[in-house]
Amino acid sequence: MLHLPAWATDTLRRAEPGLPPDRPLALWETVRGGMRLCAVDRHAERAGLSPGQPLSDARALCPGLIVREADHEWLAARFADFADWHSYAGPIVSVLPEEGRHKPAYGTLGIDIAGVAHLYGGEQAMLDGVTTRLENLGFSVSGAIAPAIGTAWALARHRPGTILAPGGEEEALAPLPVSALRLPEATIAALGRLGLKRVGQLYARQRKAMQARFGSLFIARLDEALGRGNERLVPRLPAPERHVERRFAEPIGLIDDVLATTADLALRLAGQLEREAAGAQGFHLFLYRVDHKVMVLSVNAARPTRDPGHIARLFAHRADRLGGEYDAGFGIDMIRLAATTITPLAPRQDGAFAPPDGTADLVRLKDRMASRLGPLAVSRTGFVDSHIPERAVRLEPAIAPLPDDPRAAPDPALPRPLRLLPAPERIEVLAQVPDGPPASMVWRRLPYRFLRASGPERIGIEWWVPGEEALTRDYYVAEDEAGRRFWIFREGLYAAETREPRWFVHGLFC
Amino acid sequence: MHGRKHAQIETLRARIAALEERLPASGEEMAPLPTSQDPLALPGGLLHEVFTDARRNGAAMLGFALGLARPLLGPGRPALVFVQMAGEAQEAGLPYGAGLAHFGVSPESLLICRVESVVELLWAIEEAALCRAVAAVIADIGRPHKALDFTASRRLSLRAADAGSTVLLLRYGTGREASAARFRWRLSPAPSAGMAFDARAPGRPRWRVDIEKGRLGKGAGSPGFFLDWTEHGFAILDRAEPGAAGVAGAPSSGAASAGLGNRYSEAG
Repeated sequence: MLHLPAWATDTLRRAEPGLPPDRPLALWETVRGGMRLCAVDRHAERAGLSPGQPLSDARALCPGLIVREADHEWLAARFADFADWHSYAGPIVSVLPEEGRHKPAYGTLGIDIAGVAHLYGGEQAMLDGVTTRLENLGFSVSGAIAPAIGTAWALARHRPGTILAPGGEEEALAPLPVSALRLPEATIAALGRLGLKRVGQLYARQRKAMQARFGSLFIARLDEALGRGNERLVPRLPAPERHVERRFAEPIGLIDDVLATTADLALRLAGQLEREAAGAQGFHLFLYRVDHKVMVLSVNAARPTRDPGHIARLFAHRADRLGGEYDAGFGIDMIRLAATTITPLAPRQDGAFAPPDGTADLVRLKDRMASRLGPLAVSRTGFVDSHIPERAVRLEPAIAPLPDDPRAAPDPALPRPLRLLPAPERIEVLAQVPDGPPASMVWRRLPYRFLRASGPERIGIEWWVPGEEALTRDYYVAEDEAGRRFWIFREGLYAAETREPRWFVHGLFC
Repeated sequence: MHGRKHAQIETLRARIAALEERLPASGEEMAPLPTSQDPLALPGGLLHEVFTDARRNGAAMLGFALGLARPLLGPGRPALVFVQMAGEAQEAGLPYGAGLAHFGVSPESLLICRVESVVELLWAIEEAALCRAVAAVIADIGRPHKALDFTASRRLSLRAADAGSTVLLLRYGTGREASAARFRWRLSPAPSAGMAFDARAPGRPRWRVDIEKGRLGKGAGSPGFFLDWTEHGFAILDRAEPGAAGVAGAPSSGAASAGLGNRYSEAG
């Protein structure tokens, strides 16, 4: 658990390097019609300021005070980024809400380090490493490690640096003030009136009586602090099912280095998946920048895979598409490759006896194209049950799974063009009779004279579709003097629907 | 003196060919390609350039390309890839799934790939050509691009030869660049012969084809000929200009009695 009491002001100082470092800084907000402080930094605290003070009082107390209006949304968003970045330390990171405040939360960070600490050489070294790193960046931070969230919350604020083994909760918390229990201020004040100032004083009290007096939240908080609750961290980022990572002593910046590392990581991830006889469809690359940002690149495969070369290539293509989006900032010091949507995939030997057909190749081709050109750029034809030509066919992403019941293709006996214009184009047509085949047209400012035409094929509106107001269309296949063929239609039945039918080109025949 | 130089050049050419393990790239020295019944059933692994004068002939181009690609489709190579610039969809039209069946291509086998730039276009062609499941890559290139130079076409032709999939570049306009394509076609649509029972209705698709580069096998027409699309594939018409009134020339392949066969197949 990390507690950053002055996170708001520290962040402001980092965002505005021009602020004089030795003058007190405070943020204010409007509360019940008055301007009150909501965050103060170290200097301001030393000068006797505290959150909740009216702004005018604070100004009088501390003449050199710099004040800014608090933008809670911005702060919370920055804190969320900051929290994501901390997933370098442990896979599950969560921002803990402030008690009694319904605003966006910032200031307290919980990291699940179960099974991670040994990577840092023990819990003590990990806590020191994490806090020192933040202090070097200019944040005031205090941290503690404990088996339960409530315990860690209390210790991080009141006994920073504590590392508590399971079983020691009661003893460790006894001397702490009751404010260490994440209680609303009113409850803390009520406890104070009864002379209950320390957590230890509560142990001997009757639970039923306390619950009746202070509510069930109080009991729940007390249990959580003593490690008897069942509270869990709500992870901000989707928790990856499998992941591998690499840290760098020196931050790296070039995308080529990132991709080379990705290839290595893919190899390790593939090994992991192969041992479990599994494959994955979603792959995510987390790039941890030294300046508290995480970039996430995701690629999807059409079928479960664990082929390291394929995974690495997908990321390489995805990176090609990044262009200007890629920004390593001051460098990347950790890369994590995670896999999601894991499904069993039987162990299989590729190579020597694989059948020579290229179906697997085709799947990989689609993946590669979708990752480089974008998932919507690669498509195949899907049929929809509709008479209207532009609705009867739609383009589906090629990497989407095939529908279980492929809809039957339209009747092949009907004349359908080879190329369809996505939007029909308006043309001027001369016809011998208003409801007859076209004799000539002007399309894209060029005249065409038709020698042959077949049709009409009448396509009515889909009256059962709500809001359908189109007119009936009569489609003709018309061939001009040079042999070009067009699919053109007249919109509206002459006399029955309209006096002046309009003509459109909708497609080109070979 | 002259003879020695010539011999030297020949030796060098042979050495290059040996290095590349394939025939010399210059068109004149190529042996005629082995062909089957259909004179246009060309083997896979070739780079074709298909030209037409104007954008509005785009459907004739696509039809011809599908006709060339169809014999290459098979259980081992079930896919066709169509590559187009994303911005040209309205101008050129998108391949329409329901119309593909007429050219013997099932809509599921066509992968449509829309790219943003010519760099992506070349990448996509190359990537698709390398795939062992792709029978042919059809790239619809509406405008001339600087990047489509000899180097690019050489690269594509090598890729095609390596992987055995055919690459068809559909190009528009009258300009020609140097290219390593094995075949260069020039197409234009031609007036059809009309339906057998209704002369006023359009008949089978017909092209006028000029081979600007490359050579077809024995039995194929001369460099300029007319071509019809039938249910069985391409049929080259006789040298004589087909009459506009619907007396079509005989298909060069298939039917025993040309005139009769032609009429029967039109009726069917």
